[in-house]
Amino acid sequence: MDNILSVLIFFPAIAGLLGFVVDKSSARVYGISVATVELLLAIWLWMSFDGTNAGMQFIELIPLVPDFGINYYVGVDGISLFIVVMAALMTLLGMIGMSIEKDIKNMIISLLFLEMTMIGVFVALDAIVFYLFWELSLVPMLYIIGAWGGPLRIYASIKFFLYTFTGSLIMLVGLLFMAYLYQSVSGVWSFSITDWYALVLPVDYQIWLFLALFAGFAIKVPMFPFHTWLPYAHGQAPTIGSVILAAVLLKMGTYGFVRFSLPLFPDASVIMIPFITVIAVIMIIYTAMIAYAQEDIKQVIAYSSVSHMGVIVLGTFAMNAEGISGSIFLMLSHGIVSGALFMLVGVIYDRRGTKMMSEFGGLASVMPKYALIFGIMLMASVGLPLTIGFVGEFLVLLGFYSISPIATILAGTTIILGAVYMLRLYKRTFFGPITNEKNENLPDLNGRELTALVPLVAIVIWLGVYPKPVLEPIDTSVKALISFMHEKAQTAEAKETIILSKTIKEAK
Amino acid sequence: MIGLSHYLVLSGLVFSVGLVGVLRRRNLLMLFFATEIMLNAANIAFAAVSYYYNDLTGQMFAFFIIAVAASEVAVGLGLLIVLYKKFGTLNLDDLASMKG
Amino acid sequence: MEKFVYIALFAPLVGSLFAALFGMTPKKTFIGVISSLLLATSFVASAILATYVVQTGHGIHVTMMDWISAGDLDIPFGFVVDQISVTMMVVVTLVSTVVHIYSIGYMDHDKSFNRFFSYLSAFVFSMLILVMSDNFAGLFIGWEGVGVCSWLLIGFWYHKPDESPDVNPSISPSWAANEAFIVNRIADLAMLVGIFVLYWSTGSLQYDVVFPALPYLDDAILTTAAIALFIGAMGKSAQFPLHTWLTDAMEGPTPVSALIHAATMVTAGVFLVIRANPLYSMPEVSEVSFFIASLGTFVAFFAASMALIERDLKRIIAYSTLSQLGYMFAAAGLGAYWIALFHLAAHAFFKALLFLGAGNVMHAMHDELDIFKMGGLKRVMRGTYLYMGIASIALAGIPPFAGFFSKDAIIETAFNEGTLVLWTILVVTAGMTAFYSFRQVFLTFDGNERYKEFNIHPHEMYKFVLIAMSPLALLAMIAGFFQEEFHKFITTSLEIMPNYEMSHHTHELALYLGILVLIFAIGGILLAYKKYANGLVRNEKVENSFIYQLLKNQYYIPAFYAEFISKPYALISTMLWKSVDMKIVDATVDGIANMFYKGGDNTRKMQTGNLSNYLNWMAVGLVIMLLVATIYTLKA
Repeated sequence: MDNILSVLIFFPAIAGLLGFVVDKSSARVYGISVATVELLLAIWLWMSFDGTNAGMQFIELIPLVPDFGINYYVGVDGISLFIVVMAALMTLLGMIGMSIEKDIKNMIISLLFLEMTMIGVFVALDAIVFYLFWELSLVPMLYIIGAWGGPLRIYASIKFFLYTFTGSLIMLVGLLFMAYLYQSVSGVWSFSITDWYALVLPVDYQIWLFLALFAGFAIKVPMFPFHTWLPYAHGQAPTIGSVILAAVLLKMGTYGFVRFSLPLFPDASVIMIPFITVIAVIMIIYTAMIAYAQEDIKQVIAYSSVSHMGVIVLGTFAMNAEGISGSIFLMLSHGIVSGALFMLVGVIYDRRGTKMMSEFGGLASVMPKYALIFGIMLMASVGLPLTIGFVGEFLVLLGFYSISPIATILAGTTIILGAVYMLRLYKRTFFGPITNEKNENLPDLNGRELTALVPLVAIVIWLGVYPKPVLEPIDTSVKALISFMHEKAQTAEAKETIILSKTIKEAK
Repeated sequence: MIGLSHYLVLSGLVFSVGLVGVLRRRNLLMLFFATEIMLNAANIAFAAVSYYYNDLTGQMFAFFIIAVAASEVAVGLGLLIVLYKKFGTLNLDDLASMKG
Repeated sequence: MEKFVYIALFAPLVGSLFAALFGMTPKKTFIGVISSLLLATSFVASAILATYVVQTGHGIHVTMMDWISAGDLDIPFGFVVDQISVTMMVVVTLVSTVVHIYSIGYMDHDKSFNRFFSYLSAFVFSMLILVMSDNFAGLFIGWEGVGVCSWLLIGFWYHKPDESPDVNPSISPSWAANEAFIVNRIADLAMLVGIFVLYWSTGSLQYDVVFPALPYLDDAILTTAAIALFIGAMGKSAQFPLHTWLTDAMEGPTPVSALIHAATMVTAGVFLVIRANPLYSMPEVSEVSFFIASLGTFVAFFAASMALIERDLKRIIAYSTLSQLGYMFAAAGLGAYWIALFHLAAHAFFKALLFLGAGNVMHAMHDELDIFKMGGLKRVMRGTYLYMGIASIALAGIPPFAGFFSKDAIIETAFNEGTLVLWTILVVTAGMTAFYSFRQVFLTFDGNERYKEFNIHPHEMYKFVLIAMSPLALLAMIAGFFQEEFHKFITTSLEIMPNYEMSHHTHELALYLGILVLIFAIGGILLAYKKYANGLVRNEKVENSFIYQLLKNQYYIPAFYAEFISKPYALISTMLWKSVDMKIVDATVDGIANMFYKGGDNTRKMQTGNLSNYLNWMAVGLVIMLLVATIYTLKA
């Protein structure tokens, strides 16, 4: 099956189209079956993936506009492989856990289209194809927030759409200019990222292009101060929307940094480290503090997402294999954990119709299973060793320490501040006596919710104890990326910063 | 001796007459006349320049413009009649149905 | 031998998972029995390993599997059983086994009996990982693992409501649990930094790679690593200023206090310093080591001072734990690592015994902890009285009980090193220790039966519980005799544990020094006897004095933290959210959007629908473009 990637991309889309003729009552079953098949395909992709090969695999190339070098060009490497698997997994589990009854058919179709665009973004190796999927992903999400969201849904969805769209347009200009530069150097048009990798650009061009792409990625991540769309989007989106948004869509930004910014502009990336560091550290501390001030459980998790994304961004710019591998691993773990946390908030919202902490208290007595799973996810979120959250966070901080010890310590406060807001949330929601009598008879997790959450718990522990199956392919590709950047870097500063292999400090 | 510049000045003047007509007139029919005047100003310039450069392309263009102008008038007048039948006036101030 | 390593390590995990299966079902006694049996198995395996290490003189090193490998970092799940870790393993598993059996009786009436055993065994597993790991990252797993178990166990009675600090200084179990976790996290960050420093300078986190590489490192790196790791140790071992969580942690069930907050987890910090002794004995970091010793001495005194007037039985013992941890750090900081470890082990025995005895009292008194409301309990609780007495004698340092040998050795070390200020403080503290220990014993067990006023009918604990406690009592009495054997054993391999011997001069004076300490200790006991043995006489004047209030309020440190850290943090957070994020950051975004919106709204008026106007605009545009074009042509 050489064209597995195309199958992965278009199977959900075609199934989504066919979904229009499926009967409303069986829409959910249909969606779950499609997502299951898709997940199995993704796992099959993983199984047949050669973890020792750092390069692109399962490449497919079909010319679309040959005159301008635009091709349907896809492939995966260790960096993108697991995000694809995670996208398929979270779509499936999100669908299983979904409690929506209204217009269920439309929701299933939107989700399947969304799945196509998410997988497309992560496997695209052609800038135009990448951009197409990138923008297309906005449409189903706009619809999901706008149609099934809370009272402010229209404001939130339009804000989400316009904000990210503005950033992407700047990114598009950057991509087009990149293609133009490529054409002026080599004489042929190409939008293939792998072709672009070969292009060595002057440092000032690199900086401008870096900034153009940064606009697109930073808003998507979202980086401070471009993050304010996220709390609205999460606050208004239905549970499934938040799950997908936090688990997969945010990762598009950080993935963009790894796929585009680092290898295309190694010198600019190194020059930009101080700038990125400041933003990332502000992001980590500032949003963690804001998360502490929230009264709405979902907002706490929304802001905590931003804070954790700060750690991911930091790791991306650690310029060594430890940091970047850690950052990619953290993307996965954040996807799993924040996805699960949003699902958990959805559980309580379904039961009580509110997400305010003050409405709860003492839930551990009435919903012990729920408290247990929430507790495990909380611990993963604060980065407890032997859960999935620790591996990435540890590697990122470890990696970034070689760039700046001070910034690492500041960023490391995430393990303190994260514990502060999460434990406060947990205490107010689950501990203490049951103060609100409406909570006295809340049913514990039902079979559907357990089916969605237990696999996530299993993954959290499995990859916390034994991350190797995932970390190894990532690391192989990242090492190749690092040595490529080191090769390509022109300035002495960049050569020195991008560490191929750790240099033991000289003996005194 | 009448040179190219005379023709171009004439063309400019005629064009200005047309432009002022377009800007000041309120009647749609008059606007049509004004545009025709402007087109013909262009024709004068084309023909003159063509003659001056010994290149027939300009005169060819002038013929094109005459043809286009004729068909435009044909369609345009048709529309005007329909418009007049519907609104009973061709005064632009009374036809502002596209106000935003 | 490898299989015993795995048995010792994983038996508690099996017990924990087994109990967790029944975590949400009503109490089943067999869960407690099976967990205890598995712990006993772990203890037996540890003992076999200890015998093996004693006999062969070398340790066992096993690597189970890879954990994290990225870049050049390679962290395995590796375990090392050497003199240090095997000592810890035996102590931890022994105390844990006793505490497990004890808990079957103590938690008898608790509806979350099964859950309790699940947490307790999970704690032992984490603690074993902590002591057995062969690298810093593995140590960190255990480090955080015990932190979480501690969080779960302190907050075990999570359903209790928050109270004001005047009523209950710990506020509530869940509050105390969060405090413990967060304070420890602060220290953990420092510890992570220490790990990073070592990784980037030695390229590995394995002890056997890092330690031999230390002599080749910069002074600055060594100092940073030493400071950072010690801050980590300060959090877990509750050293000033990160000490407040330990007394609040007494909100947990008493077996938990005995196991975690006295015998094992809190000694992890001392263990870390002992484990990293190659780092701390480098001459380049001698200032750091001396700081450790000084801080330890300070905490020993500081905590003992607060114990003098405390009325809460468990809090008294918690302060004494803090104080004894200070002693251990004093020894470790002065280079006497084996003495620190010896005191750690001896302390684990008598302090666990003391706490379990306190648990019996609490059980008898229906969870009343105020010793002012007790008295005369020896008439109904003979066994417990005996145990508490033994433990207190050991703690006070009266020969021939364990505490005398270990504590005296530490005080002697301070003298031997010529740090007379430290020595003086430690001697005085020894007197205070004896006083507060016996104040608590006399107030609880002697004098008039004040509890009768409160209509409480105390009763002795189950017999099997008292029998289970006997190994600890025995060890509290006799452990001191094995000091020399322990010394020989632990320093078999000098790479793992450097030797420390008293100088000739100190050796000669040892007897007089010992007698001096003893005089202080006995003086303390006599004072306590005189004041409290015949009943409680309260003195209003003393209780209203400044010093009494200062000690009662723990030097106002918790209040200071609440006023100057917690409250400002909450305030700033709210301000950042409401004033900065909503009013500045988000408002800017909306402002830009509104600008376009308003701009569109205003320019909409241009669309009059009047063709004539449009044409005028077109002409204006045309003119402007012509002008621009002309200007550019002229320029070029």
